[in-house]
Amino acid sequence: MELIRLDNVSLLRRTQEEFSYDLKRTFFSMLEGNYRKPVRRLVLDSINLTVNAHEKVGIVGANGSGKSTLLKLMCGILEPTKGKVRVQGSIAPLLELEAGFDKDISVYDNIILYGVLLGFSRAEMKQRAREILEFAEIEEFKLLPVKGLSSGMKARLGFAIATDVQPDILILDEVLSVGDEHFKMKCKKRIDSFWQGNATILVVSHDLDFIRQYCERVIWLDRGKLMFAGEPQETVSKYLKYST
Amino acid sequence: MALSLPGNATWEDFRRYWDLVYVLSARHLKVRYRGSFLGIYWSVLNPLVMTGLYAAIFGNIFATYYDNSLLNYMLAAFTGLTVINLYSTATIQSVNIVVWGSPLLNKIRLPVSVFPVSMVMANMFQFIAGVVPVLAIVTLFTSKNPLNVLLLVFPILSMFLLCVGVAFLVSALYVFFRDLPNFYEVIVFVLGLSTPIFYPPTIVPPNLRQFLVFNPLYPILESLRDIAISGTLPAPYPIVHSLLNGVLVLSVGWLCFQRWRSQFMDLL
Repeated sequence: MELIRLDNVSLLRRTQEEFSYDLKRTFFSMLEGNYRKPVRRLVLDSINLTVNAHEKVGIVGANGSGKSTLLKLMCGILEPTKGKVRVQGSIAPLLELEAGFDKDISVYDNIILYGVLLGFSRAEMKQRAREILEFAEIEEFKLLPVKGLSSGMKARLGFAIATDVQPDILILDEVLSVGDEHFKMKCKKRIDSFWQGNATILVVSHDLDFIRQYCERVIWLDRGKLMFAGEPQETVSKYLKYST
Repeated sequence: MALSLPGNATWEDFRRYWDLVYVLSARHLKVRYRGSFLGIYWSVLNPLVMTGLYAAIFGNIFATYYDNSLLNYMLAAFTGLTVINLYSTATIQSVNIVVWGSPLLNKIRLPVSVFPVSMVMANMFQFIAGVVPVLAIVTLFTSKNPLNVLLLVFPILSMFLLCVGVAFLVSALYVFFRDLPNFYEVIVFVLGLSTPIFYPPTIVPPNLRQFLVFNPLYPILESLRDIAISGTLPAPYPIVHSLLNGVLVLSVGWLCFQRWRSQFMDLL
């Protein structure tokens, strides 16, 4: 069964440096008649792609090649300029884990806040909070503001909240294990259980050994173009050859 | 709130929207009052102190316009201050709220409009918990009619509609123009001065007074004073006028927000 389908998807984005962000300057440049329309750059170029249920797909490519942008399109954070993105089932993003935290409010409040942002109801999160605190092993800091946690603890909390889900599609952007050795093992176990389970997984990583070992199919992006998609061994070696 | 949802919204979407607004509003309030002794009662203390100040300075001159009663002048000033305070804090704090949410918007798919709505809701909560009880007591004392207390719902609702509409507008514009706060603070200041808060509207020269109609806070304030301190049942006109104003501003704000939203993500 097809879970994700991208038909001829292109994305144009405004380059931020081009933009003035300034009411005064925009107003005067319009008066003087030299107002320019902001320049847009092609970030993804006619991508065709399908992902089937239970597939584990790796995405490789140089920095800035559009890997994370592609994931954002699948999550519905960005809308394609051209083409169509279709996704069936729930998607859980697991991108830079601490982004949702608010440093000034307590750990418990953050669990509720982050969980609701990720799509759970408040009632559900109240029930899950204890399990999450337990998994992250920070029960005793429940009422402390998050800025009082060490960075390792924050990472653990982020991981615990974001992975305490049963999504149809899991998206991993360079986050596979965090914290100390003991916690890394725990993370690995949880990721492994996703891996063995029915979840469809999309993973962006520069760890090519990991990609080769765990993924069933690999997609190689370069400057917004889909260069190749296929067997892990084949794709990775093509990518390596191209890069050197 | 139903206005903020797409056309084919389901009950599930509505619940999610409400949960998002709830947790974000709670967050705004918690951050604001962390370690604060008086908590939300600051929002009552401020207009009370200002009322005392205005009474001390202008009381003698302006009391003649209020049946020679200093108390009446003070009540008028207090109601005016509560309205302008709510408007200015709710909308000024909403200016940067979409940009504040950009780290989240870049990671998780969220309805962008929850950010301005949550900021206005946080301020409404503070208003309803802190100021409204005082207004209710004043209303009960002056009118001796519980119906007037119930009618307070209308100016509060109008304020909510107006603030959300303006919050949509300014938070969307701020995404494009980061120097907006400087301009907007001037606008709020002008709006505050052109609202008859601490002066009687009759002292405004007649050729200027016709422009007061364009101040959306004016009919709200008029209806609030009518309900809370006139001592009689209010005239329906200011209530209807301020509600229609609120709906109009909200619709314009919402339409602009939706139209510009597609461009937000490139700039956040």
